[in-house]
Amino acid sequence: MAVTLAMADFDLPTRSASGFLLRYIVPRVEPIQLLGVLVRRLPFRLSAPQSDIIIGCGHGDVDAFTGQNEAVILEVGKYDPKEVEGKVIKLLSCQTGVELGPDLVRNGCAAFMGYTDDYIWVMDSDLASTPWADEMAATSLMPVIGSINALLDGKTAREALDIELEGYSRNAKVEKDELVKACLEFNRSNAILIGDGGASIRARPSLALPFKLIPPPPLLMPV
Amino acid sequence: MANAEWDELKQALKKPVSKEAMTEAAQAFKKYRVVKLAKGKSSKPTLVSLGYKKTYPHAVPVDKIPDELAKNPEFFKLMGRIIK
Repeated sequence: MAVTLAMADFDLPTRSASGFLLRYIVPRVEPIQLLGVLVRRLPFRLSAPQSDIIIGCGHGDVDAFTGQNEAVILEVGKYDPKEVEGKVIKLLSCQTGVELGPDLVRNGCAAFMGYTDDYIWVMDSDLASTPWADEMAATSLMPVIGSINALLDGKTAREALDIELEGYSRNAKVEKDELVKACLEFNRSNAILIGDGGASIRARPSLALPFKLIPPPPLLMPV
Repeated sequence: MANAEWDELKQALKKPVSKEAMTEAAQAFKKYRVVKLAKGKSSKPTLVSLGYKKTYPHAVPVDKIPDELAKNPEFFKLMGRIIK
């Protein structure tokens, strides 16, 4: 099972989101992992066709998904269908479920998971160098991690989306802060699946227990 | 648990975009902030989004949300969609 994991990390939101992927997804997937400056069109174009699943986090709009410093990675009508054919695609990005997701599915993507409006959360910017330790951001980002882990463990796209939706609901139920809760409900209502809900990939090898994922070292911050 | 300040903010955000509505929402958010937030110890809560080509910043410290609400109609509309 080959994974393309594209993780932009150049500002607070991308650093926060990619931090959770670094902490909880990267240790258990084989390359190809595109982090930071590698999240650009050319490395993506080379790696995507070899992958079974594409997972991306970066800024997005209705018709485009971007990587490092908002370099366009996927844009409606401007990619080779071979990059997406038969693949499960999960984009943690704003609004890509509106036009880009349907376009990817029209071009052969098996299942697309994304969002129809902005993806919003409250993070603690004091924890930008260790984003995975941010409990405030975790309320929103851990359901996404749960969903991605489910996909990588061979669950169907529909099951993975349900896991994410349940995560938001569970966290919203116990959340005391109204703003954080509103963000959870907002993300929940915008999460969508397009294409074949029964699509899945071959599961990665299971973890032998006891096994503990060690947090990565703090991220280097720009001076 | 919803409080009066939060409800006031919700009502303000329901209004059509106008200078007055934006100022009212900003004031309501300020009042709400005085009463709420700050989960845990010392922290700098920041509202972030993964939008591309937006007129509002990707990251807005929660204490600066009233300023952004008062000056940016797109941000006012976004907050109206989030806080319903």
